[in-house]
Amino acid sequence: MEITQLQLDALREIGNVGSGHAATALSTLLQRRIDMSVPEVWAVPFEQVTSIVGQLDTPQAVIYVKVEGEASGKAVFFFPVESAEIVVKALFGTNEPIDLYNEMAQSALKEVGNILVSSFIMALTQFSGIPLQPSVPALAVDMIGATLDAIFLEEGVLEDTVLFIDTQLTGIPKIEGQFIFLPDDGSLKKLLGAMGV
Amino acid sequence: MNGVITVGMADFKTAMVPDLLLTAGLGSCIGICIHDPFLKVGGMAHIMLPTANGSLGGNPAKYADTALVLLLKEISGMGALKSRLRAKMAGGAQMFSFPGKPPVLKIGDRNAEAVEQELKRHGIPLLVADVGGNFGRTIHFDVGTGELRIRTINHGEKVV
Repeated sequence: MEITQLQLDALREIGNVGSGHAATALSTLLQRRIDMSVPEVWAVPFEQVTSIVGQLDTPQAVIYVKVEGEASGKAVFFFPVESAEIVVKALFGTNEPIDLYNEMAQSALKEVGNILVSSFIMALTQFSGIPLQPSVPALAVDMIGATLDAIFLEEGVLEDTVLFIDTQLTGIPKIEGQFIFLPDDGSLKKLLGAMGV
Repeated sequence: MNGVITVGMADFKTAMVPDLLLTAGLGSCIGICIHDPFLKVGGMAHIMLPTANGSLGGNPAKYADTALVLLLKEISGMGALKSRLRAKMAGGAQMFSFPGKPPVLKIGDRNAEAVEQELKRHGIPLLVADVGGNFGRTIHFDVGTGELRIRTINHGEKVV
């Protein structure tokens, strides 16, 4: 579908409210200040996602949650491994080195993803009046390109352009993360419709 | 000094000895590597999905079937003989699993099957298939020797 400027603004606003809630949740969880960027709405060929995430084989901790309900979609939160280590250390209250492949660390990361995505979805539901539920989170600590291609291509189809909302979260010291919400094709109409655009 | 030519997603490139071809961060996507060991030329494609299904729109380098045709055409244009071509492939992983929910479509597996079939259809022997698993791969292909270096984050590195 063609996206108008007004619709792009509405999507950015969805991103703004949702990511704001997610940033607050992360801030509460870690007891640190978390800042967020103004969300960007991208409608680009998937191949160009590199320009958004940087080097495709940079290792990142990627938490993937499916959003189910009448306006379904995919929510992905990813941290560079260094930031993921800081987050897990903060949660465990330790300064010992963390192995992100360890089961405890992985369930902690999944829980962080769960909290972030749930708060995003709650904001989305309040905003649009459309009830949405998050799935159980899945996690991969691996190359960012490899994880994103698996998420975007999961259904075996790929539109020529994909639309997603992207927000950067940063915390002091040295926590960086990125949040992507990717509405399924039909959901976009419903979300925009609920907002009257 | 060898040049390294980077192949992006849904992209394909050719090279001559001593250059290397590189594609980074393959998940369910597949890197198809083809070379002519006599002429020491070759190419690589980074495909995302099995088949274009006859759809004419979009980028043909995205699909196993159409990308291979483009790649072979360009390699032949460099003087390679189809009968001498050899292939290797890597990728096709299943990166995520949701507890209690088996994936409906294992797109990585389907990509690997499609590449295998298309190579067979073109009569090109597939020497190595490093596919599957739940991890990403970055690959370097030496078109001179046909060596394929496969790097992962947590599953080691190997040359096949």
